[in-house]
Amino acid sequence: MAEWREYYQNEDDEVEEDEEDSGGAYKISGRDSLVFLVDASKEMFIKGEDGEPSNFDMTMQCVRSVYTSKIISSDKDLVALVFYGTEQSKNPRNSFKHVYVYHDLDSPGAKHVQDIDKLQGEKGAQLAEKTMGSGETSLGEALWCCSNLYSDIKLRLSHKRLMIFTCRDDPHVGDSAKDRQARTKAADLKETGVVIDLMHLTKPEGFDVSLFFCDIVSPPEDESELGLQTEPCRKLEDLQKRVRAKELKKRAQSRLTFSLGEGVNLAVGVYVLARTATKPPAVRLYRDTNEPVRTKTRYFHAHNGGILLPNDMKRAQVYGKKQIVMEKDEVDEIKKFDDPGLVLMGFKPMERLKLHHHIRPALFIYPEEEQISGSSCMFTTLLLKCSEKNVFALCRYIPRRNTPPRFVALVPQREELDQSQTQATPPGFRVIFLPFADDIRTVDAHVGPTASDEQVDKMKEIVHKLRFKYRSDAFENPMLQQHYRNLEALALDMLAPEPIEDLTMPKVQMMDDRLGPLVQEFKDLVYPPDYNPEGKPAAKRKPAESGGGGAEKKPKVEMSEEELKNHVEKGTLGKLTVPVLKDACRQFGIRTTGTKKQELIDALTMQFSK
Amino acid sequence: MARAAKSALVLCMDVGFSMSNSEPGQEPSFEQAKKVIQKFVQRQVFAENKDEVGLVLFGTDGTKNGLAEDGQYENITVHRRLMMPDFELLEEIESKLQPGGQQADWLDALVVCMDLLQEETMGKKFERLNIVLLTDLNVQTSADQLDVIIDSLKKARITLQFFLPFPVDGEDRADGGGDGPGPSAAPVRPGKGLSRQQTQGLEMVKNIMTSLEEEDGLEEVYTFSDALQKLSIFKRIDRRPMAWPCHLTIGSSLTIRIVGYKAVTEEKVKKSWAIVEAQSHQRDDVKRETVYCLDDDNETEVQKDDTIQGFRYGSDIVPFSKVDEDQMKYKSDGKCFSVLGFTKQELIRRHQFMGSQVVKVFAARDDEHAAVALSALIRALDSLKMAAIVRYAYDRRSNPQVGAAFPCIKEKYECLLYVQLPFMEDLRQFTFPVLENNKKFKPSESQLSAVDALIDSMMLVEKDEDGESVDVFKVNHIPNPQFQRLFQCLHHRGVNPDDPLPPVEPWLKRDLERPQAVSARCQTPLQDVKTKFPLKVVVKKKEQKTSADVFGSSADEPDAKKVKVDEETEFNLAEIAKGNITSVGSVNPVRDFCTLIRQKTVSFDQACQQLTHRIEQLLGNRSPEYYMKSIACIQAFRDQSVSSGNAELFNSYMQSLKRSVPDRNLQELWDLLIQDALTLISKDEVDGSTFSKQDANQFLAFEQKEEVQAAPVQEDTGDVDDLLDMM
Repeated sequence: MAEWREYYQNEDDEVEEDEEDSGGAYKISGRDSLVFLVDASKEMFIKGEDGEPSNFDMTMQCVRSVYTSKIISSDKDLVALVFYGTEQSKNPRNSFKHVYVYHDLDSPGAKHVQDIDKLQGEKGAQLAEKTMGSGETSLGEALWCCSNLYSDIKLRLSHKRLMIFTCRDDPHVGDSAKDRQARTKAADLKETGVVIDLMHLTKPEGFDVSLFFCDIVSPPEDESELGLQTEPCRKLEDLQKRVRAKELKKRAQSRLTFSLGEGVNLAVGVYVLARTATKPPAVRLYRDTNEPVRTKTRYFHAHNGGILLPNDMKRAQVYGKKQIVMEKDEVDEIKKFDDPGLVLMGFKPMERLKLHHHIRPALFIYPEEEQISGSSCMFTTLLLKCSEKNVFALCRYIPRRNTPPRFVALVPQREELDQSQTQATPPGFRVIFLPFADDIRTVDAHVGPTASDEQVDKMKEIVHKLRFKYRSDAFENPMLQQHYRNLEALALDMLAPEPIEDLTMPKVQMMDDRLGPLVQEFKDLVYPPDYNPEGKPAAKRKPAESGGGGAEKKPKVEMSEEELKNHVEKGTLGKLTVPVLKDACRQFGIRTTGTKKQELIDALTMQFSK
Repeated sequence: MARAAKSALVLCMDVGFSMSNSEPGQEPSFEQAKKVIQKFVQRQVFAENKDEVGLVLFGTDGTKNGLAEDGQYENITVHRRLMMPDFELLEEIESKLQPGGQQADWLDALVVCMDLLQEETMGKKFERLNIVLLTDLNVQTSADQLDVIIDSLKKARITLQFFLPFPVDGEDRADGGGDGPGPSAAPVRPGKGLSRQQTQGLEMVKNIMTSLEEEDGLEEVYTFSDALQKLSIFKRIDRRPMAWPCHLTIGSSLTIRIVGYKAVTEEKVKKSWAIVEAQSHQRDDVKRETVYCLDDDNETEVQKDDTIQGFRYGSDIVPFSKVDEDQMKYKSDGKCFSVLGFTKQELIRRHQFMGSQVVKVFAARDDEHAAVALSALIRALDSLKMAAIVRYAYDRRSNPQVGAAFPCIKEKYECLLYVQLPFMEDLRQFTFPVLENNKKFKPSESQLSAVDALIDSMMLVEKDEDGESVDVFKVNHIPNPQFQRLFQCLHHRGVNPDDPLPPVEPWLKRDLERPQAVSARCQTPLQDVKTKFPLKVVVKKKEQKTSADVFGSSADEPDAKKVKVDEETEFNLAEIAKGNITSVGSVNPVRDFCTLIRQKTVSFDQACQQLTHRIEQLLGNRSPEYYMKSIACIQAFRDQSVSSGNAELFNSYMQSLKRSVPDRNLQELWDLLIQDALTLISKDEVDGSTFSKQDANQFLAFEQKEEVQAAPVQEDTGDVDDLLDMM
């Protein structure tokens, strides 16, 4: 049975096997879901001073960014948008008053994003007023409605989260019955595994969480965690950051044993905090119906047409003109060195971690108390001490079965908070992959003259003018953005995709303005007047060729007359190659009757035996 | 990739009788030298470069070389002329390379090698000509031709490498150490006097090597054991990294001509495995076919031509042809290395490095103006501790990156180091619970000091005699074990097709282990850590498909009821206030159902109908969490039916449920029902029931028997049996 399944496994499955998240010891089942429960009361629509966007506007922008990021990064996740405190009601059975389900739990698509766009800005506020209006508030009803959304979903949900966006700390204005009902409903939801977060927004008198909402939201995952943010979000950025931090369920790529040696083992989870986002692979669709098709791959015998089962096939490589054959199992076995895990080799001072020893994006590890109790304490001690002594731990790392080892540096990272008390860097070890000897290439350094102090100082002025604070999330990938804009345009029958702003392009005009005359001054210092760095490099590179730049394809061997004569005398011209002979003819201006080797040799012999 | 420069190499091995001598317990030099050659050729075969290798043996019984004349150059055999090494050569070395019974002058052999090289490389372009001599030098040599030989070696630009059974600078090696590759092994045969010929030979070797390569000449003399241990000491003539000429731009008018080279990147196995037919070992016998089929029950196949390309956009799938895609996609305007701005180095964290490579950026070769301009930038950045943030595009077809260019100033050269940085889309902001200020995990003073001592004992950087700190575990000097192991296995299988795969070579294993000195040092501190930190594996519950697993313990059934009761009391408050339970919800259907029955807001039939509707819904999600809920519903259904004396609805529901078990794959649920003894309501309980107590009991038991026959997983039913027996 197993073999058949393996054999019929289609390519997509194999890809999934490599997919890191699904690796490791435990399986993820079901989908993540997220419900935005947004207050639609009049207060939400009040514009801030100096034309600042209203809280409602800010929330919509935030929801939109979650929608689009879900589309790009996790299109299987389910998202819903529900308004409460509306005049109109719209929900599956219309049994709840003043609750407006704008989007039912579903994976977001182009239409959803468009819907949200309609709610933005001045026009959006008008539309919201027209379709939903603001009315009575009953958070209890709203929560109840949301719980129905969850329960109506036929799919298995793995992570359920509900975020309440509001600027009213006392939504029922003293109606204790409503307060009570909301509390009960919140408790019901929490009981079924829904995590409730509050994204509270600013209001003139300040938002008092303790008035009401402290009983609604879920307790923090860890008793010592900061849990409820007491400061409301003032800026869109803060709100987005806060939402983003919660929106994704953090998930270990794998859980491993970290062995310090001699049976001292702790358990850690390995997390991917950065991974190159790529354009998702294309899906094949049936032309007539546009429904996706699956691929099946099978192997059969070329001569008798019989289907080949896995054990009818072996693996082979050709080396040194010989074919070497192995079983599939053997091919896997070759890659096995040890069981998966991290094994401590020792410690090194941080300065031994070379900047240029980089081959892969880093990972992150955090202790797993549920697997080996005491791991967190051991881990914390190690973290504190490594960071205090300014050392990193060198480990051998085998991520999964039948994978060869790599050495990694575990760099301690202590927790850092930003101004709004949100975690900026989590506590744990960063896992930096180190190169083996084979990964380091020999590069012939170009040695040239160095700059004088005057020249360096001028450049310092230039650098100074163009300073900025780098933030890792400041640049969007223009290729991906364009791809999704294109898809969006096609999905919504738009005439043309919305233009993207390519943040990776240098702001040349601005830079020139800031630099002013500095560039010319620097150029005067380093370049002679007739030097044109943008001139055709090909022409200028000629003299550089002898240095072995390696750009020229054909080897050019200049033959001295003496050498040639020597060959002619000994009759060894035949040992030279045709290009060499041709070059020789050209060099000495010898006319040839043709380009065949013998003709070239004849011509040369004629010339030099005179 | 740039065409790799070829090199020509002649392996010249002494097989004379003295090579077969050995100290007791030591491998004869011949065997050691043979291994070196084997390893080397193996490397060449698997590296698959275009290098050509010849093999010359001296001290052979026979003579076969182009110079042999009048008793000159005797006992020297050109075993193989210059060719690309292949498995045939490996097999020949394995089986045909035997010790000879003669002795020959190694200088003569060297001359034969030179002749061979010159003759065979004429007219071909070779980057490097090299002769590798493996000998114990234990033979009389005539030194009169030495100067002529050195001269012609220089003229022909032939380089030499020597492999000897003993170190070249015997005693003084210890204090002169450090210039060899890595910490050198203890001198072989310490204190063993060399023969007169050997001493003389050694002088000549030194003479040749120093006159060929001046100061570094002696670095190319190795011992056999060193060579075997560190095969990487063979001059690695790898692919020359391709030059990437570009312009570094700052704003619109400042341009510097630069060249980039990939300096560090993960080297992958170059070949993938082909699939061959198991019997014939022919690739062509295996045909692979990919078919497209619709996702329907029949898996209807469709032709590839009838399919089009599409992409997912969230829940939508958007048809998007390749042509349209190419036309609409993001287009970068060619290669570039444009500065976007400058930032403090500390703002770029090491863990944010993305991509799989580091590029070294130099000024264009032989352009001194570019060199000065780039140098000014590098030095300015270095002294300000800043880096340039740049847009990097390899060429017109590739996607742009944002990366950082760090200044790098070395004694001999200066360059920028370019590394890719993340895009916003690449990042995942996860928040992790606090560790440091968490009371639960706060380490005690003694724990802290135990780990402190452990770290001290496990430092991989040690001070040598001169007070210089030496790294004893340099990862970047270790060859990738994956390749070593793969080639070892391929070689083994190639030469012995029927043998099982060999074990991992001990030296390779050793390379991956903690250095022994460190292991020894950390024993005590590690024991201390072990006693101070209680680490216990949390025993995972076995995956038993019983409700014990779901409810926590097998005696939990009453608990479920208790929870229900508790909730009722809690609920009553809200109920009084609100009193609007009108239907059985899905959040807490049991409670809703009980309330409805008690309040009699709807009829008993209706309440039951609503409840069964919910149960059916719950059963749609096949997961323990929902089973638990379903079972609680069934339990409530049964309880309420018994107390209202109406068994009909419940019994008929149970019967229909039972019928649907095989179709809906609900065996697991049924197991739970058995475990909780949730069976039909019998006459004993409700008068109206048409079932006797026995019927009721059989209702489940019968099903169970059937399951034993049907279910392939007997363990599960076994568990249930055991549990039932215990109850």
